Amino acid sequence: MLYPRPISFPKRLSGVLIALICAFSAYADPVLIAHPAVGMRDVSLNSTRLIFSMQLAQWPDGGPVRVYVLPDDSEVHRSFAKDLLSLYPRQLRRVWDRQLYSGTGQAPEAVADPVEMRQKVANTPGAIGYLPSEMIDDTVQVLSIR
Amino acid sequence: MASCLQGGVAALLALVSPVLHADDWTDDIQVHGFMSQGFVKTTDNRFFGDSDDGSTEFTELGINASFRATPSVLLSGQLLSRRAGDMYDGSPVIDYALVDWTISNTPEHAYGVMIGRSKNPLGLYNDTRDVAFTRPSIFLPQQIYFDQVRNLILSADGLQFYGRLYDEQGTFSLNLGVGSSPVDENVEISFLGSDYGGDVESGDPAIIARGEYETRDGAWRFSLSAAKVNLSFDAAPADPIGSGEIDLLYWIASVQYTAERWSLTAEYMEEPIEFNGFGPLVDNRDSTVQGYYLQGSYLLRDDLEWVVRYSEGFTDKDDREGTQQSAATGGFVPPHAFYRKDWMVGLRWDVTPSFMLRAEYQWNDGTWTLPRRENPVPSATVQDWEMFSLLASYRF
Repeated sequence: MLYPRPISFPKRLSGVLIALICAFSAYADPVLIAHPAVGMRDVSLNSTRLIFSMQLAQWPDGGPVRVYVLPDDSEVHRSFAKDLLSLYPRQLRRVWDRQLYSGTGQAPEAVADPVEMRQKVANTPGAIGYLPSEMIDDTVQVLSIR
Repeated sequence: MASCLQGGVAALLALVSPVLHADDWTDDIQVHGFMSQGFVKTTDNRFFGDSDDGSTEFTELGINASFRATPSVLLSGQLLSRRAGDMYDGSPVIDYALVDWTISNTPEHAYGVMIGRSKNPLGLYNDTRDVAFTRPSIFLPQQIYFDQVRNLILSADGLQFYGRLYDEQGTFSLNLGVGSSPVDENVEISFLGSDYGGDVESGDPAIIARGEYETRDGAWRFSLSAAKVNLSFDAAPADPIGSGEIDLLYWIASVQYTAERWSLTAEYMEEPIEFNGFGPLVDNRDSTVQGYYLQGSYLLRDDLEWVVRYSEGFTDKDDREGTQQSAATGGFVPPHAFYRKDWMVGLRWDVTPSFMLRAEYQWNDGTWTLPRRENPVPSATVQDWEMFSLLASYRF
């Protein structure tokens, strides 16, 4: 049997380290959220990319999807695009612009900051967005990406 | 002008209002727009006005409205006013006005049809070519995206079918359109060489097709697109040429690679043109137009981008020096009017996400694609010329 060797850090210091790591990853990894009535716990990566590319406009139950995003230059948006979708914010913008200015699609709704994001997603049926994990509360449904 | 735009938007909204049903329907309506103002200074020749003295006759204004009536039905329209030297005076035109019906939309595929005036998805840039934010430079490479006959390939009135297939690696999409393309005097002058008494009109319906593959991470884009256009010319009694038809097939192969801080883009275009029925003066002008470019861009900072491009284009790929074509005019048109090769460097500064400034410099050999309307005497054009341009653009 192989067990990891006991960590020799003092317990307190390792606690601080874990807290630091958690704080950092919360910042680096926003969480996908939806309006509670959407009734889903998870969504595929493919669907998530299509939804945020404004190319999948309805939920599996047929209801309209409403997409909320933070400004292109916000850290949370950048990290959402890169870490969750594996896309650069510029690529998302290019896709939106191309559809928006050729009449083949609409732009996502931009919100000013995470507080407004939470408020909009919590109060708009069919809404989807993202938040830093420390801002999640029970007004929104967390979606995991599978 | 402003009241005209407002009127257009009001009309569009009035058009869609009978189908409004939900209480929160205003959430389904979006209004966006853009405005750009340019400045052009050339060492010689004219491009977008009296550019040899410095011209500001380059203004683009657009406003669009869209209404998502149901998750599968989108209504959209855009008004465009474009002032470009002697070619376009800024009169507002309907850029597109369509109903997009997505018949099926799943995480695996989507297909549907657009009815009305839709933009032709040609090359990487045609469908949003008048929106400065979506262009790689102040002016698109003229060897492929000629300004002179832009309206011919800009949009079509008819039907456009589309389908998309999604898999783990990427998206394959196919568009197929059938419709009539708008024709203006610029088309007549550039194809027939003069504004005759008779008129050029759209003949058989144009066919537009594009196949595109984009990798899931958005890094690679490959596309092949084409427009087949037929024009008919009805000669007036005094015209020195007879009534005839012009057939052209404009096709573009495109590839683009995008990394986090840089991108490389290449496009190649050919356009075989056939003249029939005009009589010997015109019928032997059949040729294949050719154009291509290689472009690189690099993000110096998140808001500052360099772009460098080399482009070449020829009115006849079998006479790239233009000597035979010049000889055919008895030397009236110099050889350098049949090709254009240029280097361009540019800088884009995104002052805010909705306000952008650009500056560019271009070194040209040859004068092909310079509008005949702005340079009526071919022998008076200068073969080697340079161009400096500035652009400010705002969008909402």
